[in-house]
Amino acid sequence: MKTTFGLVGLLAIGLATSGCGKEYVRGSQDPSIDNAAMSTGIDKDDIQRMLSENLNNLRNAPVMDKWRADRGQDTVAVFPFQNDTTEHIEPALSAILSEAETWLVDAGTTTVISRERQNQMIAEVEGHTNPVFNPAHVAQYGKQLGAKYFITGKVAASDERTDDARRVQYFFFMQVIEVETSAIRWQHKAYVTKMVR
Amino acid sequence: MTLMKAMEATNAGRGLASVLTAGFVSVLVGCSGHSERTLPVRTALDEGAPRAAIHALNKELEVDHDGDMPTKIEGDNALLVLDRASIQQSLAQWKLAQNDFQAADKAIDMLDLAHNAGDSIGTYMFSDSSGKYVAPPYEKLLINTLNMIDYLEEGDLSGAKIEARRLAVMQKYYADQLNARDNPILGLGGFLAGLAFEKAGDIDEALRWYDEALAFTGYDVLAPTIARLLPQGTYSSPRLKQAAARGQAEPPLADDEGEVIFVIGYGRVPHKIPKRIPIGLALTMVSGSISPGNYAMANKLAAQGLVTWVNYPTLAPGQGSYAIPQCVIDGQYVRLEEAVNVSQQVREEWKNIEGKVILSAITRLITRLAVGGGIQAATKGSLFGTLLSLGTQATMTALDTPDTRSWETLPARIAIARVRVKAGTHPTHLDARGVTRDQPLAVAKGGWSLVSLMALR
Repeated sequence: MKTTFGLVGLLAIGLATSGCGKEYVRGSQDPSIDNAAMSTGIDKDDIQRMLSENLNNLRNAPVMDKWRADRGQDTVAVFPFQNDTTEHIEPALSAILSEAETWLVDAGTTTVISRERQNQMIAEVEGHTNPVFNPAHVAQYGKQLGAKYFITGKVAASDERTDDARRVQYFFFMQVIEVETSAIRWQHKAYVTKMVR
Repeated sequence: MTLMKAMEATNAGRGLASVLTAGFVSVLVGCSGHSERTLPVRTALDEGAPRAAIHALNKELEVDHDGDMPTKIEGDNALLVLDRASIQQSLAQWKLAQNDFQAADKAIDMLDLAHNAGDSIGTYMFSDSSGKYVAPPYEKLLINTLNMIDYLEEGDLSGAKIEARRLAVMQKYYADQLNARDNPILGLGGFLAGLAFEKAGDIDEALRWYDEALAFTGYDVLAPTIARLLPQGTYSSPRLKQAAARGQAEPPLADDEGEVIFVIGYGRVPHKIPKRIPIGLALTMVSGSISPGNYAMANKLAAQGLVTWVNYPTLAPGQGSYAIPQCVIDGQYVRLEEAVNVSQQVREEWKNIEGKVILSAITRLITRLAVGGGIQAATKGSLFGTLLSLGTQATMTALDTPDTRSWETLPARIAIARVRVKAGTHPTHLDARGVTRDQPLAVAKGGWSLVSLMALR
């Protein structure tokens, strides 16, 4: 009979605990919630890691020395990053773009052109019926905006799958291009790998 | 006397434990089959009421709105979200369809990759439907293929290219790991992916995808496009050269022309239904693959009259396969080519595994009776033990729900067309199985537009 009572007890505990509701947690109270990888997409940790690698490199690049020497006279536009991956990471790319723009403004070494003006310019170049950013026309956008340089980039990925795992390796490239000559004045890359198994 | 009472109490305790365990498992496993859950969805689609079908799915998913996701997209919920995705697509709710396809794609991928001991135990002891759902290749390939249509409808080439790349990952996986290179879904995938890369200006990638499409019949419409693209790219193949030769006769796209691409899905693939067949017939069907031990055991049980029927899933008849879709632009009929017969894929896939499914049903039957026998032996043949044994077997029989899970809202066939038009606005009319779409299309010089119709009835 003890076995029976034991089983009934276990069943009752099991049923009582199985229906627990969801809990909302604030990141400032439990910073560990930012640590876990939730998918093979790009999250805040990945963004910070990739940007930190690239922007730290840009800080010491010759083009940055030139901007410092020109005392903020150089105008720079930040154009959307191209998504060449297998993941719909546009929101993450948009966050990367804003972070890079913020870093550039905070650095105070250049005059950064507003993104709203860029959108107007894209509409003028591409036509108002389908004003979608076309990476092939960035030099044209830059000239129309009067920018001397533009910062852009792309994220590519190698995505592989086996019977029990899927791995996505991200390659994040950033570059500074001189509008007048289309010469690449700086370029750097960062890697991030995500996996589900 | 005291010893006898103690033994009876112990036996009763064991028996009660078995019943409780069976009851507990029944709570975990659930009883109704998938096809039963989705009956209101299919009925609504048959009645030409896709909104009611989405409402029924939302109810099953326990969400209020079309854009809401269930708290957990796992198990059968992933399939229900997939069902909802195709219906959202048929209602031209592109963004909602994209979200559903993406969510279901990842959830089904996770299910595929998951290692869950409970799955195999559930599969063996009770019912295949209690195990995790593993999508057949045509379903996995169609998720990305159909989602490409959602992005192309919106002119979002970046989104369509991402779906194309996801398709390429699955395509490589099936080719390398499963040696499955000839799935006709890849033809339609190649056609749509090629379009996305061509219009984004990536000629070589477009040619690679078009080459993939040309491996299957139904893409003659690509010949003039390939004749135009081949000299611009560096990628080539004998298939592309042959297609280019066929397409040379047509003059190149004029400066004031654009293109319209039509995609029409119609009918619905056969879904799975539970079926009961006599054990004797089942044994005949799997006589070549059942183990001699199980064969003898099943025969013995049948001879004793203990078992008469076996439950297993099979395919219901498909519908709408013989419909003739119509496509009209500027009042002129457009010739449609059949790109893929999805129903045929479903049947072929099922034919490959049907024997294994029946075998699994017989194995479950033997296991069930063995568990009942075990309880009877543990209770040393007492009347109480016999009743418990019967009760346990009855519970397990009730739980033996054939696995009827599948993506039920797939079109039976998909047809395509690609035509050149003068730049400007063109009235279009698409019609299949009584479902129509009238859409004025604005085509810019050198531009393009894709218009689709999914008539899922």
